[in-house]
Amino acid sequence: MRHFLVMTAFAVLAAVVFGTVAKETKSDRLSYGLKVFLEFLIIGLALAWVLYFIP
Amino acid sequence: MVLAKATEVVLVERPPSRAWLVGLIAWLVPGAGHAMQGRWIRAAILGGAVYTAFISGLAMGGHLFILKSDGQSSALYQLPPMIANLGAGLLYLICWFLDTGFADDAVNAARATYEYGNTFLLIAGLLNYLAMLDAFDIAAGRKE
Repeated sequence: MRHFLVMTAFAVLAAVVFGTVAKETKSDRLSYGLKVFLEFLIIGLALAWVLYFIP
Repeated sequence: MVLAKATEVVLVERPPSRAWLVGLIAWLVPGAGHAMQGRWIRAAILGGAVYTAFISGLAMGGHLFILKSDGQSSALYQLPPMIANLGAGLLYLICWFLDTGFADDAVNAARATYEYGNTFLLIAGLLNYLAMLDAFDIAAGRKE
């Protein structure tokens, strides 16, 4: 659980900065930040499962 | 038959010297580059993210990199992560002067959050590089 929380904190921090610097309008920033956050989370979980099966 | 020759002139506008100063300050003090341009909310968000990542990284037991051989590998291997750490500006320099956060000892390495701490310290610097470029672009008039 701790690993997931730390990964989520990482995704939040990165998404906040990416969303703030990348787009022009407020709604674009919000949707881009959310997209980046979900991408970090989903790819992180997917990689964790892949690595689980690799000895 | 008339042959027309089109000449394309590309004007490259050089950024004003103030933009370089803003970039330097944005690197040194996370969030300050935006703050000095009156972008208070952006400064708080970006600076807050960098400070949070850096302090969390140290609290999790991560260590900062410096150009020094660990006895097993070349000091050059430390260069890329050191460049990432250096992005945190004064935060890194203060730790360097106080000799805090550079110890890569077995006690910290045994902690479950050790690698996360290292990663947080690295991204603190990398995110501040992004914030610095954003502040520079705003000062140079390339961005709103």
